[in-house]
Amino acid sequence: MAMPASTRPKPFLEPEYCKACLRCIDACAKDCITQGDHVHPGTGMIPVLLDLENCNGCQLCIQACPEPYGLRPETEREVSGGDFELEDPAALFGPKPGHLVEPVDHPGTEIPISAREPLMLKGTYASAIGALLAGCRHVFGYPITPSTEGAELMAKILPKLDGAFVQAVSEVAAVNMMYGCAGAGLPCATFTSSPGFSLMLEGISYMIGAELPGVFINIMRGGPGLGNIAPEQADIKLACRGLGHGNTHGIVLAPSTPQEMLDLTRLAFELSFRYRNPVVLLGDGYLGQMTGVVRLPKTMTQPGLPAWAVWGDLEHRRNLISSILITEVDLEAHNIHLNAKYADIEANEQRAELYRCEDAEIIVVACNTPARMAKGAVEAVRFKGVKAGLFRPITLWPFPIEAFEPLLVHAKQIVVVEASPGQLQDELRLALSKAELGHPPISSVQRYGGMLPEQVEIEARILDAARMMEEVKA
Amino acid sequence: MSVIYDHFERHAHGEGLKGRTTHYCPGCGHGLVHRDLAEVIETLGIQDRTILVSPVGCSVFAYYYFDVGNTQAAHGRAPAVAIGHKRANPNSIVISYQGDGDLASIGLAETISTAQMGIPITVIFINNAIYGMTGGQLAPTTLMGQKTTTSPEGRTQAMGMPLRMAELIAQLDGPVYVERVALYDAKHRIKAKKAIEKALRIQAEGRGYAFIEVLSECPTHLKMSPEETEKWVQECMEPVFPLGVKKDLVVEPWWNAEQTPSFDPGKVLALVGASKDAPTRHAKGFPAHMGGQDISFKLAGAGGDGAQTAALLLARAAINEGFDATNIPSYGPESRGGTSYADVHIAETEVLNPGAPDPMVLVAFNAPSLMKFAPTVRKGGVIIYDSTVIEDLSKLPALAPGIRMVGVPLTQLALGLERPMVKNIVALGAIQSVTQAFPVETFLSTIRTVLKDKPALLPLNEAAFAAGVRHAALIPA
Repeated sequence: MAMPASTRPKPFLEPEYCKACLRCIDACAKDCITQGDHVHPGTGMIPVLLDLENCNGCQLCIQACPEPYGLRPETEREVSGGDFELEDPAALFGPKPGHLVEPVDHPGTEIPISAREPLMLKGTYASAIGALLAGCRHVFGYPITPSTEGAELMAKILPKLDGAFVQAVSEVAAVNMMYGCAGAGLPCATFTSSPGFSLMLEGISYMIGAELPGVFINIMRGGPGLGNIAPEQADIKLACRGLGHGNTHGIVLAPSTPQEMLDLTRLAFELSFRYRNPVVLLGDGYLGQMTGVVRLPKTMTQPGLPAWAVWGDLEHRRNLISSILITEVDLEAHNIHLNAKYADIEANEQRAELYRCEDAEIIVVACNTPARMAKGAVEAVRFKGVKAGLFRPITLWPFPIEAFEPLLVHAKQIVVVEASPGQLQDELRLALSKAELGHPPISSVQRYGGMLPEQVEIEARILDAARMMEEVKA
Repeated sequence: MSVIYDHFERHAHGEGLKGRTTHYCPGCGHGLVHRDLAEVIETLGIQDRTILVSPVGCSVFAYYYFDVGNTQAAHGRAPAVAIGHKRANPNSIVISYQGDGDLASIGLAETISTAQMGIPITVIFINNAIYGMTGGQLAPTTLMGQKTTTSPEGRTQAMGMPLRMAELIAQLDGPVYVERVALYDAKHRIKAKKAIEKALRIQAEGRGYAFIEVLSECPTHLKMSPEETEKWVQECMEPVFPLGVKKDLVVEPWWNAEQTPSFDPGKVLALVGASKDAPTRHAKGFPAHMGGQDISFKLAGAGGDGAQTAALLLARAAINEGFDATNIPSYGPESRGGTSYADVHIAETEVLNPGAPDPMVLVAFNAPSLMKFAPTVRKGGVIIYDSTVIEDLSKLPALAPGIRMVGVPLTQLALGLERPMVKNIVALGAIQSVTQAFPVETFLSTIRTVLKDKPALLPLNEAAFAAGVRHAALIPA
């Protein structure tokens, strides 16, 4: 309802907020506003001049002013604390309601679940159930073999739990839906495979920059390019060294059984929220499809809401999710903060499983499904009297070098077994180099394109290494 | 305006004049739309529900100004981010604020798919026919002949024609309200604000997705005064991008803003199929007589032969007996047909290597599978094959010593039950009989568990299993 002309407030202008665009001049029907003639010393602009003798308070000039603190109704004048003073209104009138509320962490709860019989699950299902038990009720994804069954199970279950599975238009959209959901403070995940993971890297970099949690279950397949749908481990480099542009790192977990697909997916959510950082679960195509025994944990998680969430309520109104820091000083400080977080992760989150390593002269290093073939090989050569052991990194980043270091005392040969052209070996070598550790010769069993190292070839390589050891002795 | 911060703390840390002025150039349309949006949020009383998603472009810093929940998105991805927010908190009011490069170029896939999804969010699209932040390059909405830094001679046909987003969005089924507005004079500014208010009201009432395209001024990169730019928008842009309501459906509220996820453990466990009932054990111990603590099987056939199901039942039987087991399926990219085989391991304690390159037991449902895998069967192993379809063994490659060949007419026995698809269950019976891996009851109770929701199929499967057991038992060792 328009007020009578006489009572409508007239405009006023604090000249330092005028950018002299002159859009108001045209808007005024009474020609009250004219172009100024003096450069404002503070802004270098020439503010408009107001002569309000004929003003009827129509306010069209105010609507034409693009600056929020440009032309304003006179009634707001006192709010600004005077004509030319930059006085904080909070000092005059107290803080606005939204700023009275300090967001706090609303912690999640662990809900006990009664004892259940073990399930028989394929890896992708085990991972999906791990996510459910970790409190994840939001999954965003795009179908890609061989990860799709995880998403399919979520599409079936989540609506029944009043959560959501959203099939995005692409992996690019999926990761950005995760960015939004994680920004709201909730646990979310995606199931993908190598080419899809490539597409998500941009979004992962943004999530790392904005410090958002999220779990990426990447069931690796054969590459490069479209490659094939058979198992490979050639995304180790991408996950450990290439999570998008900029200074990025994320914890990379490498399960080797369906049971670990569940356990490590749960852990991934915990770590993801602890560090406010994405976590990557790297499985190979075999592991995604493999069915095995899976025991359920004793509790499940009901997530809380972190203080930093942009939830869309009064408490969290002051929050911002963003990865842009436009000044060099601010962005350097942010990188220093991220570096401290990465150092914290490197110090505290290394995980590995050691099998018969206590006296091993030949250390076999392998992860995911090839670690199981390697375990079989270690067991077989032990029957022949060869002192071999399996070192299985569970975190690929950070590489569990602290657990590896003591083995170097008795290790005489290292054999790295992987379904990739040396990407795991590179992580080992980099970790050894950074820790300034000398090491015995490293040889490898590598298969590509969907072929996995077979137990017999691992055994043969271990026996070769044993022969070389003997030659050195001789 | 209580929705605009008193002080722009995020703009250069709020220092000096930047604490009260925007980062926009003089005369820029963004400031006008910001004002409208802020006033509408206040009018509708939704400040404590609103999340503004800032894009990449000149309005990347929209979060400097709006006292609401703020998220800054990657270039073009604001609608996807908005969906993430809306799904996380269905009660939030989510606004995706985007420019023409962001919305109509790099983010086109997100724009279209989100619009078609129809989830109640509000998209504010600022179309000024040029890239601002990167310095005046060709936008998808740049007019024909318009000179930009990447179309220095003017936009030509080979660069494509200007993209009319409001019309494009309006012809989708998802959106309920689409309007194009302008800011070039007082009358149109009032209309623009009304459109924004309507769009947000539609979201607040849970009616659906709304899209407002705003023809806006970029004096800096159009290289004109703000006044000239207003004229240019009216005279040059408006004929290409006609103003008006492009779509306005009356839709009843449908969005459930109150939806909250369930964390009822009973419900979760039921949905994942967890059971409290321990299966009865029938075996006296691990079938070490088959050769060691870890026994491997390969089941191979054509897609549709049922090798995968039989393999799962075999592994599940072992697990029900308290042992470890794994099953790895392997098939071609075809959904039906093609080759299909599965590797199963059963182990007393732990399956080390789940692959079965040299199985102890091979089940071959067709001749190619037999020819391919028979030579891989290890010494002293067993080969069960479908003697209905494999009659000629003369071309069989050399086998390891001590292998027992057992031909069972799987297909014929299944046809006897008038259901050829149960030949895999016949095969499971044959496996039981020939290998004595586990007692008959182990397999039968596994089959019953799997079919507990389809009891009508149980008699047929039990009969098929029994036929396999019976027939294989007749074959002399």
